[in-house]
Amino acid sequence: MAAMQQESAVRTSNATRVLIYLLLLLFAFFYLLPLFVMGVNSVKPLSEITGGNMMALPEMWTLEPWRKAWSEAQVGVQATGLKPYFWNSIKMVVPAVFISTILGALNGYVLTKWRFRGDTILFGLMLFACFIPFQIVLIPMARMLGIFGLAGTTWGLVLVHVVYGIGFTTLYFRNYYAAFPTELVRAAQIDGAGFFQIFWRIMLPSSGPIIVVSVIWQFTNIWNDFLFGASFADFSSQPMTVALNNLVQSSTGVKEYNVHFAGAILAALPTLLVYVVAGRFFVRGLMAGSVKG
Amino acid sequence: MGFLDIDSASKTYGSVEVLHNVNISVGEGEFLVLVGPSGCGKSTLLNMIAGLEDITSGEIRLKGNLMNGVHPSRRNIAMVFQSYALYPNMTVAQNITFGLEMHKVPKAERESAMQEVAELLQIGGLLDRKPAQLSGGQRQRVAMGRALVRNPEVFLFDEPLSNLDAKLRVDMRTEIKKLHQNLGTTIVYVTHDQIEAMTLSTRIAVMNEGHVQQLGTPKEIYDTPANLFVATFMGSPSMNLVPVSINANGEAVYAETSNSFGETVKLAVYEAGSDLRSMSGKTVTLGIRPEALTDKDGADHRSTHVERCASTVGVTEPAGSDTFVTTSFGGADCVARMRADTDASPGAVIEFAFNMENAVFFDPESGIRIG
Ligand SMILES: Nc1ncnc2c1ncn2[C@@H]1O[C@H](COP(=O)(O)OP(=O)(O)OP(=O)(O)O)[C@@H](O)[C@H]1O
Ligand SMILES: [Mg+2]
Repeated sequence: MAAMQQESAVRTSNATRVLIYLLLLLFAFFYLLPLFVMGVNSVKPLSEITGGNMMALPEMWTLEPWRKAWSEAQVGVQATGLKPYFWNSIKMVVPAVFISTILGALNGYVLTKWRFRGDTILFGLMLFACFIPFQIVLIPMARMLGIFGLAGTTWGLVLVHVVYGIGFTTLYFRNYYAAFPTELVRAAQIDGAGFFQIFWRIMLPSSGPIIVVSVIWQFTNIWNDFLFGASFADFSSQPMTVALNNLVQSSTGVKEYNVHFAGAILAALPTLLVYVVAGRFFVRGLMAGSVKG
Repeated sequence: MGFLDIDSASKTYGSVEVLHNVNISVGEGEFLVLVGPSGCGKSTLLNMIAGLEDITSGEIRLKGNLMNGVHPSRRNIAMVFQSYALYPNMTVAQNITFGLEMHKVPKAERESAMQEVAELLQIGGLLDRKPAQLSGGQRQRVAMGRALVRNPEVFLFDEPLSNLDAKLRVDMRTEIKKLHQNLGTTIVYVTHDQIEAMTLSTRIAVMNEGHVQQLGTPKEIYDTPANLFVATFMGSPSMNLVPVSINANGEAVYAETSNSFGETVKLAVYEAGSDLRSMSGKTVTLGIRPEALTDKDGADHRSTHVERCASTVGVTEPAGSDTFVTTSFGGADCVARMRADTDASPGAVIEFAFNMENAVFFDPESGIRIG
């Protein structure tokens, strides 16, 4: 693998190489700086921040801001910390990612292996859904949620995110399955497998890389979404992003920057975790459709 | 009524008809090979038998039962695909038993059926591997195992050997033939390799552009091709085609042409039919296989109708067991098959022997063989 990458890389002289590395280091530094600031300041007492240098390492290390952000801070009306909102987000993101990925896989399967009249037009329309700005759907969506009786609930948010995500997941799976040999489906048909048996037993088990892509994409988008969460959730179902905003914006008392930093890291942690665990499959999966040998 | 009947079957994609009125009746235990150039509709016909493609018009019957609209898994057929189509996520054992599992065969029975097939195909040691860990030949075997385990009425093969290297292809060819002899199951086999077609089949259907050009035993196809397409498609090197003019003179009928230096060559026709006689004075195409055009010593000793004439040697191509010698008759390039130690050398004038018992004639306009 490594050898192959080496070969496909363009040969460069040492001088260019040094230059490239210098530039990359500069950019890496540039991007890592905010994270450093957040990390450092989330383990300082507030007095050190207000009285001193944002870049300095803490003189007194403390986890108090983290504890506060998690379970004590004033978010909205009550001093619950971010904890309940974190679970709200989890309860929203897990079903939404699962359902949109499965539906995308099913769509991709049908659009490539059970083709029908007008399938390309249908796919085109689904792709179109990827380009509709969030703002346009806010009011119709609120109305629909009202009609379904899901307004202000976590399941309402799940529905919104599934509907919004299906365009992307369908695109991923369709392109992946287009390169999947149709003879396999035919062989399974002769073997007596039905529509869903082929899907569960043959297509899905061979879809690892693209499932990872779909999950990462959906997870980060849904977890980081603010607009839908702010528009459609009530106090009992607000996701983490909205809660973080409320925490930072709360006007009562002094601004506890260290708590805000800790809260922000807490809000970013799950997506970071997903990237670390599944990230190395991500690029591989994105490429799989196009350069399969 | 045969075992498998294909009755006036046609297939259209949109407005394009890719199969035209195909009629083939396959007897029980037969090995039918569909052969033809790329794009002639072989796979389409096979997929129609399998139920993977709809039949636009006409009927396909298996043991007298109409198969139109019957689901592939209920036709009691099994298919081996060109790409083998092994399920990549399953082990060899799971690949073989998947069909049985889908047909709700109990586990113990599946297991014993699988062991039996694994033994027959000598893949017992591979059962726990994934398809990606197998060589081409091994995949081929597993694909056959998956078909065999179902114990179907008809096996369908779509170019099963075309992904193998030359040596393995010959080995597997023999193995498929053995398998057919041992099991006696009816087989329909698609290939574009005419040698595979000749060696494996009990009958061949030669196809071109969606038409069945000729249906017959390998010998019929080879010795008496129905038309110029079949004549040139089957056999390697392909049949020599020489323009000749027919001269019917009382009892005797002569085919006249010229040799490489323009002298008239008169070949007495063996058992000329009335159709050929009626072509007297006209130009027709004489078809003669390279092995029926030899040096004078190499001619078939049992043949009583060998005609000789001199011509100039073009090039010689030693091929180990034989040497192919080119010359020209009637302005057409011809290949003669001579003994390996022939003394023919380029530029020399030597005697060529036509075995007229094996000569055939075609109408140059329609391409159809003249009886
Ligand atoms: N889905 C389709 N839509 C339109 N035309 C098709 C379709 N499938 C096949 N054809 C056409 O039907 C004809 C026969 O195709 P088929 O696959 O049966 O050829 P083949 O004899 O198997 O060739 P090969 O030896 O290359 O496999 C071809 O001209 C092909 O272009
Ligand atoms: Mg084909």
